[in-house]
Parts: sequence; structure tokens; C-alpha cells
Amino acid sequence: MIDPANALESPARYRWLLAAFTRREVMNRYAGSVSGLAWTLLHPLAQLAIFAFVFSQVFRAGVPAEFASVNYTSFVAVALWPWIMFSEALSRGSSAVTANAGLIRKVAFPHRLLVYSTVLAGYCVHLVGFLVVLVVLRAMGEGIHLSTIPVALVLLLPYLAFATGLAAFLAALQALMRDVEHGIGIALTIGFYATPILYPASILPEGVRAWVQASPPAYFSQRMREVLIQGSGFAVGDLVAAAICLAVFFLGLWFFNRLAPHFEDFV
Amino acid sequence: MSAARGDVLVRLQGIGKDYPKVASGGDRLRTLAALLARRNDGPRFQALDGIDLEVRRGESLGLVGENGAGKSTLLKVIAGIVRPSRGTVGIDGRIGALIELGSGFHPEYTGRENIDLASALAGLSRRETRGKVDEIIAFADIGSHIDEPIKHYSSGMVVRLGFAVATALRPDILITDEILAVGDESFQKKCIAWLERYLSDGGTLLLCSHSMFHIQTLCSKALWIHHGQARMQGDRFDVTREYLAYHEEKTRTERVARVVAPDGRVPRIAELWTERADGTRADVFAKGETLVVQGLAFEPDDQAPVVLVGLVRIDGTPVFGALTNEDGFVPARIEPTRFGFALRFEGLPLLPGRYRARGHVLDAQGLRLFDTVEREFTVTGQTRDFGLVELPHAWSAGRGSDA
Repeated sequence: MIDPANALESPARYRWLLAAFTRREVMNRYAGSVSGLAWTLLHPLAQLAIFAFVFSQVFRAGVPAEFASVNYTSFVAVALWPWIMFSEALSRGSSAVTANAGLIRKVAFPHRLLVYSTVLAGYCVHLVGFLVVLVVLRAMGEGIHLSTIPVALVLLLPYLAFATGLAAFLAALQALMRDVEHGIGIALTIGFYATPILYPASILPEGVRAWVQASPPAYFSQRMREVLIQGSGFAVGDLVAAAICLAVFFLGLWFFNRLAPHFEDFV
Repeated sequence: MSAARGDVLVRLQGIGKDYPKVASGGDRLRTLAALLARRNDGPRFQALDGIDLEVRRGESLGLVGENGAGKSTLLKVIAGIVRPSRGTVGIDGRIGALIELGSGFHPEYTGRENIDLASALAGLSRRETRGKVDEIIAFADIGSHIDEPIKHYSSGMVVRLGFAVATALRPDILITDEILAVGDESFQKKCIAWLERYLSDGGTLLLCSHSMFHIQTLCSKALWIHHGQARMQGDRFDVTREYLAYHEEKTRTERVARVVAPDGRVPRIAELWTERADGTRADVFAKGETLVVQGLAFEPDDQAPVVLVGLVRIDGTPVFGALTNEDGFVPARIEPTRFGFALRFEGLPLLPGRYRARGHVLDAQGLRLFDTVEREFTVTGQTRDFGLVELPHAWSAGRGSDA
């Protein structure tokens, strides 16, 4: 005798369901549009073009000496894509439960798969865009290290875990309180400018810098530049960051699983 | 379905389900805190309370009850969609829940693409799904539409695809919530045929329906849920009769309560039997013999009821039925509240086989059917005729052509 609420927990079914959900998420984004997934690349590219023009041409922002082997566009691009993965995981992941209310009311399945698949889909889609951009920049003569891309990929994993944990927390919270939906956009805009993406961490005032750099998005933003522009390998700090990210992941999941049996009561 | 008939497939013990009442933002915060602390307080509404239930393999259970009584919630608890607040659920076997067909479908994908996610949600693995796609497409029978986006489907086609996915699952326990009336006529027949085969193969059905007819034909047992509690559980005919009695009582406002019979408040067939011309009870008759269906009807208001007596083949195919009021017969009052009737068939024209005599009692207007009682009997004889009855017939040479 088993509890029917756990019926889909066997690994084979679980993986297959996650794959099916993720595929649906990827296709959902641009289903019905003619150029489909091309938009997932065009959208960040347009953002990059705007930032590159406004900051390097209008505000005359420069690249700090330690990253002088690339121009401002590459300097921003290397940190922009990881941020987009993160912010999309939060904005879409936080409504993973409420957006699938129909499913939750009618079908028994592990609800956390909704968060996983939403976050995974965003990461997969933008990872492809990221790799394409890195290769293109390199081909244009920018000093991007292609050989350290595997290091960057490994560093994206704890970042993914961090994003998943936060998204799970927000998704569960939003099932009970719709306020999350409204707050998340504002929080992400603040987060974008507070994170060293358009500027190097070194120009922050001394007192603020330590606080900013303690946040995983800022840490990984900085590390992406060191790895992909300077060609450095892993650092001891990466282990600490990974531990923090995993802790956030499990905390977020704990919160989610606590509330998951009650989603059906609220959505 | 490898396990033996009679194994317990579903076991519920003391099931209760509370829904929090959240009217204000403050309620939401309080509820959130209570859920995190695993406390059971705050304003709540009790949807189910103290339900115990056991369903064995090969049994079928019908749930009856008024709207909002908790029938759907109970089905969702068994399906694993709703986590009960109290009690334990144990399931042994694969559940197929037809709660809302097509709920996992995405409108932008083609039917074929949707089969993947829908079967993953139904609990099939990738390999099982791959092996069943053709079977699903064949059952849905929607032709070339299978490669078009679902949003271009009619609602009937969506349901056909949903049902096809559910049948491919070959569930040990099938849970349905009034969905049998879907699709067009021919698809409904296909669904009923599938369901009958499923049941005769030893499948277990949990059905929630407002149709006493469906409960009586498809289920062996019934459970009456009243305000979230089990009011009665047992044989399908007993439960449906008591349930109808409750409704009868509820709607009878103008009549003063009379002497209430100890064994129920609605008309019913108290006794029914078959006998020969000489009055001896029997259940084997030779073709051409005289068959008499005798019975006693109970009418709580002591007014002569309308009785319907008929013969059906063992598979349920009706052969013939007669209503007392149509024939101008009034059942005879034998004692207070009890009325006798007998229907005589001389020279029984039924072909050899197994049949049932069926008795129904209706209200005095002949509009509402209250009870069904059946007695099985066999007709013997040697004949190579086909069909149900021997019609008067004669052969001749014919004219040879139309001219």
C-alpha cells in the first residue's frame, strides 16, 4: 500500500515527467510566433546593444584595466547572460504554481517539478544563446577564453541551484499571496542595477562592496568575468559560494514542500 | 492486472479534509504561519470527516450524495490530488483518474505532442508511452487532426484524446467524476464498451454520479456521503434506495408524517419471485410453459403504487415490460402498505437461455422509479431459432420477383 500522492515519485517516471514539462516550458515561450526560439537570442542581444550604446557611447563608461583585453560590449555580455538566466528563473519560476492551477486541481504529481522545469527551461534556452554570443565575440577578435568555458558551465550549476531554491520559495509564497507577483518585477530591477553587470565591482564604495559581493548574483557575475576574460580557473571562494547556494536550494525546497500539499486549497 | 480478485486496493482510515477559510489578507498570513508550523487552527471548513473505506479488486463503488457533500473531494483524496488533513490513504495499484479529461493538454501543441505530457502525468514512463502512442491515436480516432494544434480541436475531440490516454494506462483503479456523457454518440458507445470490458476483466471502478441508473448498472457497492461523512455504505440497491428516500423526505413538505414503516420510507418491491401455473415457485421453465411473476410492493402512504414488471436477458437486454397503470390494473391491497401483483405469461415464447424477471415500483403518477428487484430464471428447450423470442411465423414459396 502506498500513498497515492507519492505515486509518481519513482525515478524513471519522475525524470520523464520533468523532461516533458521542460519541453513544454521551452515551447511555451515562443509557441505561436514565427521565428520561435530565435527570439530568446534576439531579446538579450537587443538589451546588450542598448546597454553597450548608452554606457560606452553616451556615458563613456570604460573597461577596468584587469579586463582590458575586451571592449565594453564583451565586458557586459559575459555577466549579462547569467543574470538573465537568474532573473528569468525568478520571474517565471515564481508563478510556476499559480500558472498551472488547472493541473494542480486535476492531476496528482510532484508539484516541485513545475518549478524545476520552468527554471531549467530558462537556463537551457539562454545557455545556448550565451555560448553562441561567446563564440561570436571571440571570432570578432575579442579576448574571450573559450578554453575556460567548462569552468564557467560548472560555476553556473550552483547559481542554478540558488535560483531554483529562491524560485521554489517564491512560487509557494505566491500560491498563498498574490503580492509576490507584483513585488518580483521591482525587486529584479533593483537587483539588476545593484549587481555589478554594467559596471565593475571595483568602482563600488568600500562599505557597500563587501555587502554586494556577498550576494550570489554579484559573486558569479564577477567570477564569470575572471574565468571567461582573464582565463582563471576555480577558486576556493567557489566552494563557499556553492555551499551557500545549496543551502538556499534546500531551504527553498523545504518551504515549498511544506506548503505543496495545500496548493490545491488555494490556487 | 496480475494480482488476485479480492485483494484490498484502496484503504481509507479516518479520512478528514479541512479547507482553510481565507477571506482577508490577514487570514492568509495566519494560514501561512499555521501551515509552516504544522498547526491545525484558524478558520476552516470541514469537507470530509471520519471516512473509512475499503475497496477490493474487482469491486466497483459508486459515490452518491448531494452537491457539495464531498464526493469529488473524496475521489481526489484517493487519486492523490488532495492531501487529507487527517487519516491515512493506502493504494495498491495504478490509479487512472478521469477527473477532467484533457487537463494536461497545451493548446499550442499538436495532439501527438500532447500525448507525451499527458501520459507522463498519467504515470507512464517514456518507454511505455512510446509503445502506446499508436494505440492511443487509434482509440481517439480523430484522423489527421492528431498533427494539428489542440486549439483547433472541438471540445469533443479533446475529450476523445484524453480518454484515449487514460485507457492506455490500463489502471487497476479507475476513478471517474461524471464524465461518461462525453463525445458524440458513437464515441460514448466506445467508452461504455471499453468500461464494460474493463470491469469484466476484473477492473475496479470508483464512480461519482447523480444518476442512480449508472450506479446501479456499473457498481456493486455504493457509499452515500452526507455533509462530508459516510451516511451509509453497502449494497448498491440498498444505498440508492435510502438515498432516494432521503430526497423524498426532503421534498415532501405538504404531507403530514404518517405511520412510518420501520424498514424505509419509499415505495419498494418487498418480494418478487417466479412460479409455475400451479403456484409452485421455480426458476427453471420449459419453453412454452406458463411463467408467473409474483410480487409484493410496499407503499408507505398506503396508496396503490404503479408497478412495472419485465423480462430481460441475462446481459440486461430488455425483452418485454408492462406497466400496471397502462394496462389498467391496480395492485391489490393485501394488508396496510402492502400490495400484491402477479403477471402471467402463458405459452412462454422466450428462446432457451438465462433471463431475469425484473420488478420496479414507481410513484402513484408512474413518473419516478424507486426500486429495482431482479430474480434470475432459465428457459430450457431445444431449438435452433435465433434471437430472444419466438415470433409467430410461417414460410411460403414467395412470389419469386417484385413484379
